[in-house]
Amino acid sequence: MLAALTGFAQGTFASRVEVAGDQVNVTREIDGGLQTVALKLPAIVTTDLRLNEPRYASLPNIMKAKKKPLDVLTPDALGVSTASTVKILKVEAPAARSAGIKVKSVAELVEKLKNEAKVI
Amino acid sequence: MAILVIAEHNNVALAAATLNTVAAAQQIGGDIHLLVAGNGCGALSETAAQVAGVSKVLLADNAAFAHQLPENLAPLVAELVCGTSPAAYSHVLAAATTTGKNVLPRVAALLDVDQISEIVKVESPDTFQRPIYAGNAIATVQSSASVKVITVRSTGFDAVAGEGGSAVIEAIAAGTDAGISAFVGEELAKSERPELTAAKVVISGGRGMQNGDNFQLLYQLADKLGAAVGASRAAVDAGFVPNDLQVGQTGKIVAPQLYIAVGISGAIQHLAGMKDSKVIVAINKDEEAPIFQVADYGLVGDLFDAVPELAGAING
Repeated sequence: MLAALTGFAQGTFASRVEVAGDQVNVTREIDGGLQTVALKLPAIVTTDLRLNEPRYASLPNIMKAKKKPLDVLTPDALGVSTASTVKILKVEAPAARSAGIKVKSVAELVEKLKNEAKVI
Repeated sequence: MAILVIAEHNNVALAAATLNTVAAAQQIGGDIHLLVAGNGCGALSETAAQVAGVSKVLLADNAAFAHQLPENLAPLVAELVCGTSPAAYSHVLAAATTTGKNVLPRVAALLDVDQISEIVKVESPDTFQRPIYAGNAIATVQSSASVKVITVRSTGFDAVAGEGGSAVIEAIAAGTDAGISAFVGEELAKSERPELTAAKVVISGGRGMQNGDNFQLLYQLADKLGAAVGASRAAVDAGFVPNDLQVGQTGKIVAPQLYIAVGISGAIQHLAGMKDSKVIVAINKDEEAPIFQVADYGLVGDLFDAVPELAGAING
């Protein structure tokens, strides 16, 4: 969405990112495998799980961060509306699955699958 | 009221999830138009016209759409929806696949509306159910947006028939290449087996498989059952199998008739990806494994004995 509003290119589900000159090659994880796209910079990249190791904040840095100034911006000051058009009517638990039975042997399992569940 | 469904395809064939998305559109009710944006996909649009329930196929044939890059496709969709006044469509739907999830947020932003993601049920034209917290709760949401931009989780809807329909095909003035992105290449895992999200039977392996070679056991069983093979995140992270096989919250969401979990303990994130399966079978040597709490049939035992035996038993 950010990419659309700014008109930048987007690379989602990135598993590999390589910057080359004024463009970036992003390898994306898609349903059937991997797709590589070349994006003009600036571009917006969203990452997938396996892109890299996160850089965790160390304790000394956390302490230092506490001394950094914080700029507080409000939506009003920026002139944007954060009102949502989506309203949550209710939230409910999904139908729970109950534990089934344990079978003793492979033969019994095959028999059950064939005759009781009729899936094979 | 008309609904625009964005077809997902590879310029030759429609993706199966498109049929589920059309089914969701039917439940919303109204004229269903299918947008086929691609390159050299004239023949595909004729296939698309056969999809049951579709009244019109919009064909946008342009090299810019060959790989459905969102930078090029999203402006086209936004133009189709809002190019006229009042807006031509009340809903824009796409499958919640990596392609749909890539394009639709961009469309929603261009239209300045909130997107409603991964719906699993339609209650009324403006009220939908969608899973939240990794499927641990179902939220019913109502949208007051002028155009509802929705991705559809394909496992929530039964696919419509791929033939029998007779939609008119209308070629539309194709858009332009935004010039800020280009397709470089792709590596698709080639497989003789059915696609994971569309398979009737799925066999998944977890950390208990111990190494990638042992997945051969599952492939042998899968071939006998005509099944797809999946894996848990533990198996993917350990490098046993490529990560497009991952089933779970961050992988594929599947809902086959039969799901066989082999050597998978059943972390909640994995369950989120498969608990809508009709029948779940678990094979694990740890009888305390949480997978047994959701399995219809559990077998406590060593998978290296059980899987070959199962393959043998099914043969006979």
